[in-house]
Amino acid sequence: MSNAFRAPPPAHQESPPLSSPERLVHLLSRVADKDREAFAELYEASVAKLFGTVLRILKQQAWANDVIQEVYVTIWQKAGRFESERASAITWMVTIARNAAIDELRKAPTRPTESDSILENWVAETPSAYDQRHQDETSTQLTLCLDELEESRQQMVRLAYLEGWSRAELASHFDQPVNTVKTWLHRALKQLKGCLGS
Amino acid sequence: MSDRDDKDMLAAEFVLGTLDRDERDRVHRQRQHDSELEQRIGEWESRLAPLADEIQDLTPGPDLLPLIQQRIKAIEDAARGDTASDAPPSTASVTPLHRRLAFWKAATGLSSAAAVILAAVLLAQPSPSTSESNFVAVFQQDDRQPAFMLSVNLEQRRLHVRPVSAEPLPDRSYQLWIKHDDLGSAPRSVGVLDDDLSLDQAALRDYEPELLKHATFGISVEPPGGSPTGQPTGPAIHGYLYPTEPSGGQRL
Repeated sequence: MSNAFRAPPPAHQESPPLSSPERLVHLLSRVADKDREAFAELYEASVAKLFGTVLRILKQQAWANDVIQEVYVTIWQKAGRFESERASAITWMVTIARNAAIDELRKAPTRPTESDSILENWVAETPSAYDQRHQDETSTQLTLCLDELEESRQQMVRLAYLEGWSRAELASHFDQPVNTVKTWLHRALKQLKGCLGS
Repeated sequence: MSDRDDKDMLAAEFVLGTLDRDERDRVHRQRQHDSELEQRIGEWESRLAPLADEIQDLTPGPDLLPLIQQRIKAIEDAARGDTASDAPPSTASVTPLHRRLAFWKAATGLSSAAAVILAAVLLAQPSPSTSESNFVAVFQQDDRQPAFMLSVNLEQRRLHVRPVSAEPLPDRSYQLWIKHDDLGSAPRSVGVLDDDLSLDQAALRDYEPELLKHATFGISVEPPGGSPTGQPTGPAIHGYLYPTEPSGGQRL
């Protein structure tokens, strides 16, 4: 069993788009068959996105390190449930990462503060090949729809989705009762849904 | 507002991330058997997914992959072992244990990168041939090799701390902590390690085996003689889960 895992490929192997959607789908299907080599490749192709997601919510590197491990264990275990007609592979993985990070955050008695963040010590990579090729129509469409929302509602949606803010945190930040924030969020979400045409 | 609307908004807020812990737990449970909710969640995931493009890629520290592979292997080995011994699958226990680590870290109120020390207590899934009373915790700093191992015999309430890569630090002491919900939200000191990094073997004598079994342990680096505040103050040793020997001497 000691040879069960292989070393990951070199970190900076820049040959053809490591994270192309098709390749990720292919890797996920191999991971579903418990292919450990594919798992290592999938990790290399996706970890920067998922770690960026988790760290942005949790703010603390060590915490994010823990959660990202859990995320990849989940990906290993659930790869067989990925349905390519429902979502892209990266969306499916980001969803797992966001859920894990937000669940962890909600369990913490106190929210980590920004000062704990070591984000500034991290060299941000340039947008990945994935990002560059996928600033596509969907993205534009959602962005356009967000732009139609009032400024504060846009901020709320982004703070919640990207930073993991709860209703209560939004309420305190925007100095509004929680129920008002809930109403605003629901209106904003309905407006987005209408704008996106579904 | 109709029930349908309510459900759609519940799904939307779940995906957006604004629900509190109880609400999220409820959604996690409900979606298992509520196909409409599950579908709504999927739709909202697709709608909002493009927002993730605004997230900057960040490369984590090195060597997380080997740790992930170890955990997967541990889970799978344990699952195999359990099939043979007819015990409950350990997969289920590994995850909650791991979650407790994050909780422990958060509960100390310290910046994890700077000040939290964690350990995982691995509950050995006992196979018939092994004692149910022996437990092992591994204390690991960053991604390096284990710093300490702690073995506990529940029956005799005896502990043994063994430094692995850890060495005595000049003008600093290592301190062992225990955390359990029954003991309150803050970690409690078990004791300060001696200069030779040992600890009184009976230091856990006042704790019930049941509590010990579900507790989390941590080791912090403190000023000489231990933490002046009664809470961990020092820099981090980081915990990861490792399987213990019982199911046939597996090693990672």
